[in-house]
Amino acid sequence: MSGRVRSPRWRAATVAVIVAWSSPGSAASDPSVERGAYVFHAAGCLACHTDLKNKGAPLAGGRALATPYGTFYTPNITPDPEHGIGAWSEDDFLRALRRGLGPEGQPYYPAFPYTAYTGMSDADARALWAYLKTRAPAPRRNTPHALDFPYSIRPLMVAWKAIFLDAGVRVADAGRDEAWNRGAYLVNHLGHCGECHTPRNALGALKPGRHLAGNPSGPDGKKVPNITPHERDGIGDWSESDITFFLKTGFLPDGDVAGGLMTDVIEYSTSHLSDDDRAAIAVYLLNVEPHAGP
Amino acid sequence: MRTVKVLLAMGVCAGLAQQALAAGEPENVIKYRQSVMGALGGHAGAIAGVVKGEVGFTDHVAAHARAISETSKLVVEVFPEGTSDAAGFDTRALPKIWEDWSGFKEAAEKLEAESAKLVEIAENGGDTRAIGAQFVAVGKACGGCHKPFRAEKK
Repeated sequence: MSGRVRSPRWRAATVAVIVAWSSPGSAASDPSVERGAYVFHAAGCLACHTDLKNKGAPLAGGRALATPYGTFYTPNITPDPEHGIGAWSEDDFLRALRRGLGPEGQPYYPAFPYTAYTGMSDADARALWAYLKTRAPAPRRNTPHALDFPYSIRPLMVAWKAIFLDAGVRVADAGRDEAWNRGAYLVNHLGHCGECHTPRNALGALKPGRHLAGNPSGPDGKKVPNITPHERDGIGDWSESDITFFLKTGFLPDGDVAGGLMTDVIEYSTSHLSDDDRAAIAVYLLNVEPHAGP
Repeated sequence: MRTVKVLLAMGVCAGLAQQALAAGEPENVIKYRQSVMGALGGHAGAIAGVVKGEVGFTDHVAAHARAISETSKLVVEVFPEGTSDAAGFDTRALPKIWEDWSGFKEAAEKLEAESAKLVEIAENGGDTRAIGAQFVAVGKACGGCHKPFRAEKK
């Protein structure tokens, strides 16, 4: 060791200067970026777009999603210009969210939940874009999907979308209060809960008559629970605080903890929400139509 | 030389079998294990009631936390080999537990560490906020082991 040991206070001052220097207004202090970070958590982008299992770089994609239609590999959504979405414009991004189309007009598979994200408000979608641009680029090349025939024919998605995509920003239901509307927006659009909790038909579209009624064959072939307020099969005996506490901590009302993919949802999404938003989710869930099953 | 190896292998097998037998019949070990897990869940559920503000028994948390901390030390032992769902038993314990024994042990020991911290906070008069924050870490430890090593509910 040399004799020049800097005092801790001096070091703290240096750190403060470096921090102040290295964030030139844009990143942390930009309100739309901050809002985007919140939307990013509410929309649960990270857990699917990161290969968590193999400790992949955040948002660099490559996470395998095994489905009855084959295996999807999530794409890189870091700002890397070649492998990520660094060369995209904001309009490209909005079109992907709202209409499930890539920059060259190629239709996306609904494994990317644009049928839910289409309802995202303009301000939230633009804030999300602003936030994604601040993430660290990772030069990871995308892995092609390994889908079964006939799902491997991507142009079929044009027809699929014509039937099943109800594009457009969500319009609030004037007959319901603010909490219910916020909850509906979080559950059905940002949080895209139905992607796992609603069963799909033979063509891979969510069954509208079974909204949140549980899915006997969810991602990785696992059973996903019914989250409608059905007394026997759903969460009809949960209180509002049971739901909010679960979304915050992962603890079920009986002291057991969430398993499966929900642990990721809680860790990377719902635990980051505000108490008000978790309460809004609970209000909405306790008021959807109860279904038996799955 | 070969005979020695065979004898050694037989010895190891016999040793493992004896270890499993010492714990009890697999069905009984599984039943016992489920009671142990139920106890952990029962105390966690009780703490949850306090943290949620549903009940005011904040001074009970230390006792529940101690129970979780003590019981967490038994977890690794109640998983003798041959007691997975793949062996045909009515259990959600996946064979991966024994395929990745060190990973399993590490995940189980995480609960020991996190619950010990909760004991410390609760015994030193921590408020529901501090208790709640550490309780989340305990829940994460539970989930960190259940997610990879426990099958979904049937």
